[in-house]
Amino acid sequence: MDILYLLIPMSAVLVLVILGVFAWATYSGQFEDVESEGRRILASDENGVDNRQAEQATGEK
Amino acid sequence: MGRKACGDACDKVTIAARSQPPVASNGDTDAWDDPLERARSTRWLEPRDGSRVAESGLKLSGIHCAACAGLIEAALGRVSGVVQVQVSGASERATVQWRPDHTSLHAMIDAVRAAGYDAVPDGAANERELRRREHRAALWRWFVAAFCAMQVMMLATPSYLVSGDELSADLRLLLNWGSWVMSLPVMALSAAPFFAGAWRSVRQRRLGMDVPVALGLLVTFVASSAATFHPGGWFGSDVYFDSLTMFVSFLLGARYLELRARHRAAEQLESALEGVPQTALRIGDDGVPQPVSALHLQRGDRVLVPLGQAFAADGVVTEGATAADESLLTGEPRPVDKAPGSHVVAGSINVAAPVKMRVERVGHETTLYAVMALMREASTQRPALARQADRWAAPFLWTVLLLAAGAAAVWSIWDPARAVWVAVSVLIVTCPCALSLAVPSALLAAAGSMARRGVLLRRLDALESLAEVDTVYLDKTGTVTEDTLGLRGRARLGMAEDAALSDDALQAKAAALARWSAHPLARALARATPGAEAAWLDVTDTSGAGLQARDAQGVVWRLGSASHVGADADDDAAAASLWFGASGRAIVRFDFDECLRGDAIAAVAALRAAGLRVTLLSGDRSARAQAIGNQLGVDAVIAQATPAIKLDVVAEAQRQGHRVWMVGDGVNDAPVLARSDVSMAMGQGAAIARQQADAVITGDRLGDLVFARTLARRTMAVVRQNLWWAAIYNAASVPLALAGWLPPWAAGLGMAGSSLLVIMNSVRLGR
Amino acid sequence: MASLARSDAPVYSDDVIRGFALMTVVWGIVGMLVGVIIAAQLTWPELNFGIPWLSYGRLRPLHTNAVIFAFGGCALFATSYHVVQRTCQTRLFLPGLAMFTFVGWQVVIVAAAITLPLGMTQGKEYAELEWPIDLLIAVVWVAYAVVFFGTIGMRKVRHIYVANWFFGAFILAVALLHIVNSAAIPVSLTKSYSAYAGVQDAMVQWWYGHNAVGFFLTAGFLGIMYYYIPKQAERPIYSYRLSIVHFWALVFTYMWAGPHHLHYTALPDWAQSIGMIFSLVLLAPSWGGMINGIMTLSGAWHKLRDDPILKFLIVSLSFYGMSTFEGPMMSIKTVNALSHYTDWTVGHVHSGALGWVGLISMGAMYHLIPRLFGRKQMYSVKAIDLHFWIATIGIVLYIAAMWIAGVMQGLMWRAVNADGTLVYTFVESVKATFPFYVIRLLGGLLYLSGMLIMGWNTVMTVRNGKAEPVAIPLVLPAHA
Repeated sequence: MDILYLLIPMSAVLVLVILGVFAWATYSGQFEDVESEGRRILASDENGVDNRQAEQATGEK
Repeated sequence: MGRKACGDACDKVTIAARSQPPVASNGDTDAWDDPLERARSTRWLEPRDGSRVAESGLKLSGIHCAACAGLIEAALGRVSGVVQVQVSGASERATVQWRPDHTSLHAMIDAVRAAGYDAVPDGAANERELRRREHRAALWRWFVAAFCAMQVMMLATPSYLVSGDELSADLRLLLNWGSWVMSLPVMALSAAPFFAGAWRSVRQRRLGMDVPVALGLLVTFVASSAATFHPGGWFGSDVYFDSLTMFVSFLLGARYLELRARHRAAEQLESALEGVPQTALRIGDDGVPQPVSALHLQRGDRVLVPLGQAFAADGVVTEGATAADESLLTGEPRPVDKAPGSHVVAGSINVAAPVKMRVERVGHETTLYAVMALMREASTQRPALARQADRWAAPFLWTVLLLAAGAAAVWSIWDPARAVWVAVSVLIVTCPCALSLAVPSALLAAAGSMARRGVLLRRLDALESLAEVDTVYLDKTGTVTEDTLGLRGRARLGMAEDAALSDDALQAKAAALARWSAHPLARALARATPGAEAAWLDVTDTSGAGLQARDAQGVVWRLGSASHVGADADDDAAAASLWFGASGRAIVRFDFDECLRGDAIAAVAALRAAGLRVTLLSGDRSARAQAIGNQLGVDAVIAQATPAIKLDVVAEAQRQGHRVWMVGDGVNDAPVLARSDVSMAMGQGAAIARQQADAVITGDRLGDLVFARTLARRTMAVVRQNLWWAAIYNAASVPLALAGWLPPWAAGLGMAGSSLLVIMNSVRLGR
Repeated sequence: MASLARSDAPVYSDDVIRGFALMTVVWGIVGMLVGVIIAAQLTWPELNFGIPWLSYGRLRPLHTNAVIFAFGGCALFATSYHVVQRTCQTRLFLPGLAMFTFVGWQVVIVAAAITLPLGMTQGKEYAELEWPIDLLIAVVWVAYAVVFFGTIGMRKVRHIYVANWFFGAFILAVALLHIVNSAAIPVSLTKSYSAYAGVQDAMVQWWYGHNAVGFFLTAGFLGIMYYYIPKQAERPIYSYRLSIVHFWALVFTYMWAGPHHLHYTALPDWAQSIGMIFSLVLLAPSWGGMINGIMTLSGAWHKLRDDPILKFLIVSLSFYGMSTFEGPMMSIKTVNALSHYTDWTVGHVHSGALGWVGLISMGAMYHLIPRLFGRKQMYSVKAIDLHFWIATIGIVLYIAAMWIAGVMQGLMWRAVNADGTLVYTFVESVKATFPFYVIRLLGGLLYLSGMLIMGWNTVMTVRNGKAEPVAIPLVLPAHA
């Protein structure tokens, strides 16, 4: 199973990278106030322009 | 723009909010931008471009739907000078970064109002930031431990699965090396608090709980590292990185949960404090309400309190009648009626109609601040019971260290490869933390539960005593009776020339004057006469005597004691009557009486049913005291009880072996209260801060006494359970570890699980 | 190109999305057509016609590459570029580079379509393409990563929506997997040898193979699920917090499930066991995600009645749940002893591919395509519904046939006489499988027909729509 000499060190590096990403996420507040962030994509603001443009383009309501 | 997202319900709210007239604001009075005020909600950042940017927290109101947060963000974003906005709908807070040379808190709050919502600066923003940092750090450390533990487990699994020579030595080395690398972040980052704590203890030459943990971790890591890089050496070739990382994860998990609970409690405390509004509408000499910072209010100021706003200070209602929601302080869910003359507390909310009030106590003198100070003080105490448990901790820890060393010595002769691991297991499995946590966690949970009901403990030790009392002495005045009096009757003493005024008109006139005084009798008169209107000029208040003022016709009237107004009085009526007259002649006398609290009879019955002997103490004469005692259904009545007599009674009861619970006036009966095993007082206002009683009951309910005792007994039961568990767990697990039957990972699991169990058991008390 | 409504307003980069979305449909039809052809060839081997370029051995990798990388890949490109822009409220970082990824990816696909029938292959499953194409894939992928992460870096919204985490993990994982697994020593422009040998190569291959499934076909499409289901249902995800936990839980158990493809092979026993254990562990996070997606409709199940796009999206999650249960079960050694090398494996793959990947892609495209052309809906909603039912029936026929065939094969192959000889010859098991191959072909044909309906619907939608630039809503005004 010599291939493990490649796979295991690679995993170790990957683990450190993942830890780094999680640290960044925690300290930049990615895990705070999550429930309202989940709703943000539904804000009509976001697609408001889409819909207006769509109405203009095709004349449909 | 946002209407589509919100829907009908939100539209209604927005319209309703907009239809309320905005608070009159004068450009000169930027109450929120007052530097003193601003310091509470704002901190300064220094971005790289050298400019100064402020970061402020705002507390929002009016958020009713998910899209509201987005609207507020947009509204704030449009204010020129705002750099960044982050709105949290869930916690109804906004964090805004802004340039002070371009805009102000006032402008930003106006923008929020223009959007149909409301905002005030968040005075607790800095503390919240600290908590947030603490939370992030705890979450990060736990994640590192758990994630690395998972990876180490994967790498350790082959060793568990193989038998004999299946795994070549090289491969085994590779797997161990991988585990070693993954354990490094755990040791360096996640376990850092344990090492730091242990180091601190050692420097202070004390043995703290972190010491065995740190020792166990270090030994495990060093021995496993040695086994990795020098297999076959003194430490053998078994590695325990999986136990190490799992143990740290379990411990950090337990600590994380504890942190969340602590933060929740702190947030509750803060939201109580936020009940005090930041600004108030002070009525100036010209009669126009001006917004000022609540910090600038002074005793005697007249303040307009609109509907829906909280009272900014303790005081007395002078105009208008309303109801106040005092649940913040007393736990009483129903609003309490407030007529002119009624006392109101800072932080309670005006729920019925706008009123004007006169300020009596501000800032640190208010009931609210006294309550919070009490709670804070209680939460930092170390009760006697806990100190007792603590005294066991040091010898316990020494014993553990000695046992571990001894185990290592014995096993190194018997089976050297296992010596280290047995020692490690012994170090890790013991849980002195259960011992240390058993008492405080229960007491704190109980104290929190009580506080929510309006029973504030000054001494946590009182809970222990409360569980054991068998005799309770109730003071009469202010305890079983309301501390506000009721108007019982009036008697016309007048002469013919005063016949022009009817009794009712006289009362109304007197009541209007009475509003100028805080004296209980005057307040009672004012309360009993709602809607009384009369103009009084040159009002003077003489302490101990009464009021004097000139009416619209220029006649000088007096309201107060018999001698002040010019009447003959006999001693009987003197205590509870007010005379009202003009030009040296008393025209009418108002008689007052105290009334029993609503739940007094039921409370006494409940206390007796719980097996307590209830005695009424009263300074009144026998007949009157006995009458009330009979009404209440007490076991005994002691009349004409001076403070000296009260002290003797309590001392005698204690000599007979009884445990005494005294409920009375916390300020004037200090010696008696100090003498009792447990003392409680019904309290309001700054008096709370001067209380010598063990606990203060801020609600008006005697039923809280019964609740407190029941909770105290439950608490002591939980404490006993916790202590028993700590004892049994340690007694069982240490021998197992010594015998070598407890692998380190199980030791870690046991230790963390044991702490968690104690905490969870205590949390039950909070429900 | 239509004129901008406001010439100064920044607009999203949607051209590249249009390209990828339309090619998703095209490659879907192509890949499934090849699938139908090879299914027919398995049923009636005469259909190989003795022509090398049409032989099963060469067409099979064309099918797998076309459906996974062409169909699935274009869907992922289209949706990830769409979602990252909309959730970050900024246009793509380096739109020119994004367009390069589009052109480059189409070149990769066309190159595959040419080289695979010509027999140029590295012989590694899902990684058959020869080294020049592998290089191009690596270049395109690095460009993809630059565009995607650059866009996130430029975001105007502080929070990174959960779907982007899944996309990001998918992009990085695939980069790592591809580069490591495709390491090869070229001997000519069209031939190379793997840098690894024997069982070492097998281990790397299935480390790649399983994680290609795990990150390409799962994490990437979960990203699609976490955006398009709430958008189509107009409700937030059931528990956004759970979606974040789901992501990190998946990352936790990321890369060790590979060995379950190598049970009872030369791989050491303990390595096989690890693969089994961690495949079972993977079950928990997978189902967490499934429940999260399906429960989004909690309280609004009636929407499923009238909205065929939601049917695609929600039913895809049921197939996802089914596959992520079936997978761990099949990775148990005793079960695997029966299922390995049988058609049960094929059934498992296709329940995931047709049921999860196929349906979620179709649902997402039905949501996305009209909006890319200025419309609220596809040209014909009834056709979407028809597509859904035809596709679902096709899937059920396919996987039922393969389950029965697979178990039957397993049982037949292990049937032993009292004296230790095999009861059945291999050919007998092949003959017994024939009717199931016919049913499977029928299922595949239905699935292809559904795709053709989608093709027609797409053409009509584009013809009747207009590609309008979409202005980016302003989060903060330009400030001093």
